[in-house]
Amino acid sequence: MNERNERIHGVACTFRRPSDVFHAAERVRDAGWKCWDVHTPFPIHGMDQAMGLPRSPIPRLTLLGGVTGFLTGCLLTWYMNSYDYPLIVGGKPYWSVIFPFPILYECTILFAAFGTFFGQFIFNRLPHHHHPLFDLPQFSRVSDDTFMIVLEARDTNFHLDESRNFLLSLGGQEITVIRD
Amino acid sequence: MRDTSSSPSAHPITAHWKKFLVLGLMGLGVCWFFAFQGMLEHNYRPLLSVLVGGLFWVSVLIGLLMLTMITRVFDAGWAPVIRRSWELVLPALPLVLLLSVVPMALLPKFRHLLWDWTDASHLLPNGHEVGHDPILQAKSWFLNESFFLGRIFGYVIILGGLVWALRKWSFAQDTDRTAGHTHRLHAVSAVGIPLGAVTLTMLAFDCLMALSYHWFSTMYGVWFFSLSIRLALAFTVIITYRLSHGGWLDGIFNQAHRHVLGCLMLAFTVFWAYISFSQYFLIYTANIPEETYWYNIREFDSITGLKNQWWSVSMYLIFGFFLLPFLILLFYRTKIIAGRLLSVAWLIFFGGLVDLWFNAVPRQIADKSGPEGFIVAPFLTPHLFLDLAALLGFGGIVIAVFLRGATRHETIPVHDPRILESINYHE
Repeated sequence: MNERNERIHGVACTFRRPSDVFHAAERVRDAGWKCWDVHTPFPIHGMDQAMGLPRSPIPRLTLLGGVTGFLTGCLLTWYMNSYDYPLIVGGKPYWSVIFPFPILYECTILFAAFGTFFGQFIFNRLPHHHHPLFDLPQFSRVSDDTFMIVLEARDTNFHLDESRNFLLSLGGQEITVIRD
Repeated sequence: MRDTSSSPSAHPITAHWKKFLVLGLMGLGVCWFFAFQGMLEHNYRPLLSVLVGGLFWVSVLIGLLMLTMITRVFDAGWAPVIRRSWELVLPALPLVLLLSVVPMALLPKFRHLLWDWTDASHLLPNGHEVGHDPILQAKSWFLNESFFLGRIFGYVIILGGLVWALRKWSFAQDTDRTAGHTHRLHAVSAVGIPLGAVTLTMLAFDCLMALSYHWFSTMYGVWFFSLSIRLALAFTVIITYRLSHGGWLDGIFNQAHRHVLGCLMLAFTVFWAYISFSQYFLIYTANIPEETYWYNIREFDSITGLKNQWWSVSMYLIFGFFLLPFLILLFYRTKIIAGRLLSVAWLIFFGGLVDLWFNAVPRQIADKSGPEGFIVAPFLTPHLFLDLAALLGFGGIVIAVFLRGATRHETIPVHDPRILESINYHE
């Protein structure tokens, strides 16, 4: 019990204004941090670049899902109409790319949606029933009038006292150590 | 802030409008000269060059008109700086119609050659005259010459009226700085969108579908709309590329604007494919001879039964006009890197021309050498150069109207309520 309380998740620091948190984020990015996050009550334009976030990998999973869906649709219609139970309909070929196109198209969309939906589950590490930040009283104000930067302990740059001082030097208001 | 009541100082590149006017007049001179010769020799193909060249730009401009009204209705925050360029080019829409479709329809000898159902003595492949065709007789309440001419003039008046209204109050805002004009244009656009949709559908029916009057497709208007928007977006990307590299949009047109245009290009590429395929798919599935012949003459040689040149053209439409732009536009970087988006825009611009060729040019010509009494006009003929001349001719007129307009009006709507939002538009 005691040992569990000793484990540190990271250090949180609040900011009062969007411009403060924006420039602080640029400094954190330039200091080479990888495991950290910014929490704001509303989207701040340009924060992606200020945090140095790369493009989301999810579109790749969408594309992969789409291609898989198209091929699945081809296999499905070919197997049923041409291989397992060949049936002539309206004098058309057993299988061509034309008549089952609505099916190929729908399968493409369905699997692309699966790729997107489950892709974001994987990359967001969902489902995630609890997070140490939720224990922090200040965190509820992040959905109202406060901005917050959290430096996580699993980052190689993390040293409790140095990180605390670093956040203070960025103009932070209130520093809190988050325990797991 | 600049005093906008005096005439704004024109950007240096607007001085080129006279060169484009000369290019335009030369192109028009060439294609109309050959159209006259074709009329004398009873050859419809040179007339088709004027029609294809004219309709290409009509299509671009109708797309711009619809985009202008759609961005008004949706209060699009990104649009104002780009929309002013659309408003400057729009007066070319009634002008191009008056220089291409209207005289073709108005002069009986041209009309009879292009729209063969207007010539009662025209011979059909089955040896009968058009006047005795029961299919035409059943459609004659719609396909008769006086109603046809009335409709053609109606398109010029309706589209011209919309262009006039959209420009009038937008330019009025430059001088009197009243936000009320934005509300008024909102209302004009809300009425104008359905009006424009019906007009462009009927225009596509009359100018393209009626070239083969036996055939009909309820998707045709939607196809023309999707083609128009694709061409309009490609045109916008091309002109904004030039205008943001040493033109009046330098430093104003940003990456986020480009991204929006790229996303719309991707969306309408898919939409065009969906509509074009649906039309083919329904006709293929229903298998009714009155409908399938339109695709058959675009696939098979009437004498040998083998694939003809039009089949290759249709393959280009699938792979070059849909699949390639679609795959390239999927990538985020294509939509934000100016040079890449410009290349795709040119690809779509050319593809739109091929699509118009595919729709307008093939027709059954009564000829005894074909087993069914007709041969199909081929794709590869020297007339393609004439099409190009017509395309450059009408294009020259369009750009001349655009640049001349830019010498007389503000090149961005300086008092639009959303101008700051538009200039600072962010992804």
